[in-house]
Amino acid sequence: MDTEIFTPLRLDEIDSALQLELKEKLDIDIEACLECGKCSGGCSNGHIFDYTPRKIVQLVKIGDEETLAGMDALWICLSCQLCLDRCPSGIDIPRILDYLREKAVTQGVRASRPDVHLFMELMLEEVRDKGRVSEVPLMIRFKKKTGQYLKDAGLGFRMFLKGKLGFIPSRMQKPEDLKTILSERKSENKG
Amino acid sequence: MDDHVKKVLVIGGGPAGMEAALKIGQAGFGAILVEREPELGGTLKKLVSSFPKWEDPADLISFKAHMLEDNGNVECLTSTTVLSAERSQKGFRVTLRHLKNRGSRELDVDAVILATGFDLMDVSVYGEYGYGIYPNVMSSLEFEERIRGWKEGAEPMPKGVAFFKCVGSRDRSKGFPYCSRICCMYTAKQAGLVKDLFPGTKVYVFYMDYRAAGKGYEEFVRDIIEQKHVRYVRGRPAKVLPENGRLLVRAEDTLMGIPVEVVVDTVVLASAIVPRADTQALTKMFGALTDEYGFIESLPYTPARSGERVFFAGGCGFAVETQGALQQGAAAAAEVIALINKS
Repeated sequence: MDTEIFTPLRLDEIDSALQLELKEKLDIDIEACLECGKCSGGCSNGHIFDYTPRKIVQLVKIGDEETLAGMDALWICLSCQLCLDRCPSGIDIPRILDYLREKAVTQGVRASRPDVHLFMELMLEEVRDKGRVSEVPLMIRFKKKTGQYLKDAGLGFRMFLKGKLGFIPSRMQKPEDLKTILSERKSENKG
Repeated sequence: MDDHVKKVLVIGGGPAGMEAALKIGQAGFGAILVEREPELGGTLKKLVSSFPKWEDPADLISFKAHMLEDNGNVECLTSTTVLSAERSQKGFRVTLRHLKNRGSRELDVDAVILATGFDLMDVSVYGEYGYGIYPNVMSSLEFEERIRGWKEGAEPMPKGVAFFKCVGSRDRSKGFPYCSRICCMYTAKQAGLVKDLFPGTKVYVFYMDYRAAGKGYEEFVRDIIEQKHVRYVRGRPAKVLPENGRLLVRAEDTLMGIPVEVVVDTVVLASAIVPRADTQALTKMFGALTDEYGFIESLPYTPARSGERVFFAGGCGFAVETQGALQQGAAAAAEVIALINKS
């Protein structure tokens, strides 16, 4: 018979290592969290998150880095900033998620959902190329790669009606300036 | 014109009783303040510091005691209890007894203010917390003593301290469905005092929610969490176990829904506030109303009045912090003065 011995999580540290890391590197103090859940109640994608923003803050508090790196929410957060905008304590949760995503990517963690990284790569290519993201060209590139041409057609139409889709690619005036910045940044990171 | 100086008996020399007697004296009436302990101060006397301003309770007590001394209308009788009382035509005939020389004294009073304070419930009914089994599991009032010991360097430094809130309070199964109101604040104060004395000590507060309804209270609790780094864990502890000479606390982190545990040296139980058993005898003696728990109850629309010529203030009515006890003492004095000033 398979018996599993029940071991509760031991809270040995008052502040988890990750909590201190966020404080030091991002100047974000999650001790200010009131645990009210306003961030999660209004989260744009909260209904499909495995861990809602309040729980993400709590995971930081208990220092569960494994769950944080592996959670789905990390990759489907829209960075819409609603949680930050509404937080009574002004905790920058989107910035925490950015930080956790960077950390996950550096550690080679990949989203369990398909095509998340493909989409991000394509989006970054758009930025590198034109300095801006144009929705329709980005969508076309993404659809070509995945072959799912009709998957989001309904959503696309609704977005079009609301004027959220730009058909004409927009470019910044001097995209070469951005390229210089990005290449400098790259060499900085390497050095 | 009646040349008899109107007199009020005030029973209990804590902040509520002191304030009531003082206001009556200042208004020009006579007050007899009876305290069974050898000194004035009540429960407040046992406390180290206060919320939300970190004032020394001893300062407040000596300030009020001096005011009482300087006021010629108040007679303070310490080490004294009320033996009996009988309703007379315009007040009460009471018998007081001095606890040391056993001498007794009879006198007539026009009204009485009960300010007998509160007690803590017997927390040994919680077998799971091990009060009475593990010497370092203690009630919040006993912990005030411990803090005093630490301040004087008499006790070894703890590596970890855990506070349990709502021990008894909000527990129907133990007969206390009510919130004891003051525990959230004094627990924050005690946790802060530990961090002030020993910054390296890990301090945990287990809570269901914290109720900081008062001027400066919310800011006080946030300061304890954010500046003094006391770890608030949401969940009601389930069990205390011995572990290598220390204490293991098991609870659920209800924010994540996962079982957690901490290891500490001292566990402090914020025990439910209950009426004093011997207040019951006084309420019967004077004909004061009481509620289902034994706290003194007020008559409709008169918050400090509990019967004909019977008033009350402070913790004997319900759990109250020092500031509230002073306010209630003053309010009871105002009602008494309004009554005895008429005739």
